[in-house]
Amino acid sequence: MNKTRLGILAVTATVASGCTSMGVEPWERDILAKDEMQLTTDAIEAATDDHIYFSKEASSGGRGFGGGGCGCN
Amino acid sequence: MPVQAQEDPGWDFNTALLYYSEDNDRVEDISISLLAKRILVDDRSLSIGLTIDSLTGATPNGAIRQDVPQTFTRPSGNSVYTIPAGELPLDDTFLDTRVALTVGWEQPLGRLWKTSVGFSGSKEYDYLHLGVNGSISRDFNNRNTTLSAGLALSQDSWDPEGGTPIPFAPMLDVGDTSNKLGTEDKDVIDIVLGVTQVVSRRMIVQLNYSFSDNSGYLTDPFKFLSLVDGTTGDTVTRTPAPGAEGPSHEFRFENRPEERTKHSFYGQTKYYMNGKVLDASYRYMTDDWEIDSHTLDVKFRWPLGETSYLEPHFRFYTQTAADFYTISLVDGVALPAFASSDYRLGEFDAITAGLKFGWETGKGNKMSIRAELYQQDGTIPSSLLIGNQIGRETYPDLDAVIVQFSYRF
Repeated sequence: MNKTRLGILAVTATVASGCTSMGVEPWERDILAKDEMQLTTDAIEAATDDHIYFSKEASSGGRGFGGGGCGCN
Repeated sequence: MPVQAQEDPGWDFNTALLYYSEDNDRVEDISISLLAKRILVDDRSLSIGLTIDSLTGATPNGAIRQDVPQTFTRPSGNSVYTIPAGELPLDDTFLDTRVALTVGWEQPLGRLWKTSVGFSGSKEYDYLHLGVNGSISRDFNNRNTTLSAGLALSQDSWDPEGGTPIPFAPMLDVGDTSNKLGTEDKDVIDIVLGVTQVVSRRMIVQLNYSFSDNSGYLTDPFKFLSLVDGTTGDTVTRTPAPGAEGPSHEFRFENRPEERTKHSFYGQTKYYMNGKVLDASYRYMTDDWEIDSHTLDVKFRWPLGETSYLEPHFRFYTQTAADFYTISLVDGVALPAFASSDYRLGEFDAITAGLKFGWETGKGNKMSIRAELYQQDGTIPSSLLIGNQIGRETYPDLDAVIVQFSYRF
């Protein structure tokens, strides 16, 4: 579980230090609000790709839950 | 500031039709998907997803090539199939329909917190998946930073026709089921911790750490290994019982550990440049089967006028082999603790290259079509090859075509 602790520590440290100086004011969100700037622009396409690569490779998850849900060949 | 009620805009439908096809008559999948989302008052939302896959084709069964024809008993135990000399043994009994359903509920808690709960289920002829998930997130720094945590639990079960094989049991004649057990279960716990950060007016970054604990039956019940002579590397021959149909050679069902722990580190950024959008992500995964993988994914959205765009996509993937991955088992030598010749647990690189064209209809609905090529290129370490296997055994490289049409209204 050392890697887990390291991960949590890294996230907390990032938030505590750097993030407060980054970012925009509420009235500067015009570009970030666009559909094409969302982290997942097409939920079905993302799910399709996750499913294909889960079935054909030994890795899964990252973007979201790795899960499973198929007896893929 | 109190949360204000919003007018109900109705359902948002996202639909897609997928065609996936591997070369050499391997797996083919035609799939339809529907994702319906309804935003209710106070920013609460309900989403329901349905996917139906129709799968056909053949898949490598795990045995090695031979200079003579090879006969195998089908997974059901009801009949046999024969592979010509020199060819990669593929099991062509692969025919399935998969129905998957997801239901999700999202809701803000106060001004800065958001929660979601969900259910997922899928059913194939011989496989059932049931899962629940939940997540919570909170905004900080004027909503420029979001921390999130999610948990997903799933229980899957195998119920193949004829039963799941006993690990390392030999493949037997048609009708002999003494090498089979009943159903088997697998439990998966996934945890995802993430931070999303607005960097500037044009840039957003997400970093995730995920932990996945898999336990139970992680073996593929349809895959097996050839039992070979330690000098020639040829598969040991076998004669079916008088009057019976059965395998022509000795095969042993594969056996994987009953535990697997995975750690993933994932980073994604989106960057806006005068209407063009760069979407780049990287994932590093490591697990206790000694598989390490790197995935790099880049998309670049290039607008063509006001209502359409082109989006090239490139993905590179590479993985190391599982520590129990091997090509064959040696006759007369003690069996290893675990073994699998599943090419997906071997060492390989994969590339995806594709192009998407998207446009908006007169009514403001969004359509897109993408075409991609996926190619796997693997290597078998020479240390795993014995005698005649050298020069004869090659990794079953894969070429697949992905075409998907999406319509959102």
